[in-house]
Amino acid sequence: MAAVATCGSGAGTTGSAVATASKSNVTSFQRRGPRASGTNDSGPRLVSIAGTRPSVRNGQLLVSTGLPALDQLLGGGLAIGTVLLIEEDKYNIYSPLLFKCFLAEGIVNGHTLLVASAKEDPANILQELPAPLLDDNSKKEFDEDVYNHKTPESNIKMKIAWRYQLLPKMEIGPVSSRFGHYYDASKRIPQELIEASNWHGFFLPEKISSTLKVEPCSLTPGYIKLLQFIQNIIYEEGFDGSNPQKKQRNVLRIGIQNLGSPLWGDDICCAENGSNSHSLTKFLYVLRGLLRTSLSACIITMPTHLIQNKTIIARVTNLSDTVIGLESFIGSERETNPLYKDYHGLIHIRQIPRLNNLICDESDVKDLAFKLKRKLFTIEVDFIS
Amino acid sequence: MLDSLLSLGGLVLLRDSVEWEGRSLLKALVKKSALCGEQVHILGCEVSEEEFREGFDSDINNRLVYHDFFRDPLNWSKTEEALPGGPLGALRAICKRTDPGPVTIALDSLSWLLLHLPCTTLCQALHAVSHQDACPGDSSPVGKVSVLGLLHEELHGPGPVGALSSLAQTEVTLGGTKGQASAHILCRRPRQRPTDQTQWFSILPDFSLDLQEGPSVESQPYSDPHIPPVDPTTHLTFNLHLSKKEREAKDSLILPFQFSSEKQQALLRPRPGQATSHIFYEPDAYDDLDQEDPDDDLDI
Repeated sequence: MAAVATCGSGAGTTGSAVATASKSNVTSFQRRGPRASGTNDSGPRLVSIAGTRPSVRNGQLLVSTGLPALDQLLGGGLAIGTVLLIEEDKYNIYSPLLFKCFLAEGIVNGHTLLVASAKEDPANILQELPAPLLDDNSKKEFDEDVYNHKTPESNIKMKIAWRYQLLPKMEIGPVSSRFGHYYDASKRIPQELIEASNWHGFFLPEKISSTLKVEPCSLTPGYIKLLQFIQNIIYEEGFDGSNPQKKQRNVLRIGIQNLGSPLWGDDICCAENGSNSHSLTKFLYVLRGLLRTSLSACIITMPTHLIQNKTIIARVTNLSDTVIGLESFIGSERETNPLYKDYHGLIHIRQIPRLNNLICDESDVKDLAFKLKRKLFTIEVDFIS
Repeated sequence: MLDSLLSLGGLVLLRDSVEWEGRSLLKALVKKSALCGEQVHILGCEVSEEEFREGFDSDINNRLVYHDFFRDPLNWSKTEEALPGGPLGALRAICKRTDPGPVTIALDSLSWLLLHLPCTTLCQALHAVSHQDACPGDSSPVGKVSVLGLLHEELHGPGPVGALSSLAQTEVTLGGTKGQASAHILCRRPRQRPTDQTQWFSILPDFSLDLQEGPSVESQPYSDPHIPPVDPTTHLTFNLHLSKKEREAKDSLILPFQFSSEKQQALLRPRPGQATSHIFYEPDAYDDLDQEDPDDDLDI
């Protein structure tokens, strides 16, 4: 869907180039067919939805994940129509933050949200979203945060390389105010932003009764309900182009929390060879089909450290598009290791998709560590290891 | 810490093993919450009611509400007293008719429930019970619910134990050395780092809890005192440290292109526009500031 739009845009721009050339009468190229007059034709135009931008590498339409550092590592953002899978850390402290930043980015950009969870009520999840840092304050607070944590050695002014003194510690490429935003993890999002947004919630204990019979080799009832819910929302609100949207086109951001945990009714965390071991993989397959044919992007957090059968993890990774693993240092021996004392954990980028491409958009650095400062979640290159 | 386990609410998992049994700790915690005036419900599945009530005095026994699933677990005798739906039905019934006030539910054994029920159903039921404050349609403020579950961790594989511990707010693992029992308490608060603590204790014959100092009391977060912190500079082939004399010599070295600090600040300050360009010149040590033209010496 996004690829068709960009092909159309290519034709559009060639058309305009030809138009300017023919004005000067130096070429014999003729424009083919009547060009759409006016700007209200949405056919061959580039789809300009708030909060999206086309990728500079392969033309895919991208949305921001809520963390500009993560956007940069993924090649500009998350492509519309794809799934971002986050493998949760062991005590589930940092993955909800990424999840909430994704949703908060949707609210700030005016996208429609769909929040699905078996653990918490989606209304409560939305109440706990982090507050966005507005443009004029964001750079100032960001710099403040960077300089507050300087170690004593780096407080010495550099004598030889003094021009690098003011360089920020983390590379944050050009962040325009329309694409990626910074979020303050210590404050809550203002209530009026939540009320102004359009969101749908799916809370599993409300939607399902406990006496449903499960047939073998089919999806768990919770997954079936969730897929039906997503499909209904996509169809009714016209994200797949079936109902022509009268208002401006919008993006649907889907967030599914703790998929695969026993609270969804799936037993892959409990047993190695359960009766429904294909349920999760089938769910992901159907979900990706739904996403590919609509203007939506999905984030899923999954407790992969609890999954007993390692082949399921491999299949789940193959069935998702972008996979990121979080490994926190709490409880491991790395917590006391002075090499890692500045960081709270490591980020592993396990998979990046190849969308309409032969190669994928890998970043050069592979050793990434994250830390949650008082306000911001930053991802830095781990220079030590 | 051990005596304030129930104040946090939620699911408290007591993991015991063959060497260090947990039922006496369970009974001690039940007695404590009964004395605090909370409603206490017991789902007894593993031992008989007489054996569970043994050791409690009569006023505590009167406060306990005991649901017996030991004598007739499958309800073959079809009496009126048996609650429909088995243990899970009893759990849901306790949820629904709870009066405002804290409730403690003791599951005599989660292992028994895991062996008789699918793990996912049990997890969903426990989650629904322990998060009752999010129950929809309930306008009356319900007191907090604490669920104490006894789990024999040797009976189960890592799967169910991992699933239950990810649901639990507090996890108490029993262990000990040389006849002294200890409880390793891991407390997971939402959105905060988990804290852990080891507490040595013993249970007195009347099931009251006696906290002790024990051989060593550790309350640091997960640090093993036997392994010293890793120093990355120990095995390098080059020297990373500077002695004091070396540092002084380094500081007093004159760099070849030494800008003064005012020039540095002027260059570092971001300027909106540059109207004029400045030339900063500072004479070097070897500079000759003679104003004469050296070509004057030529004799042509």
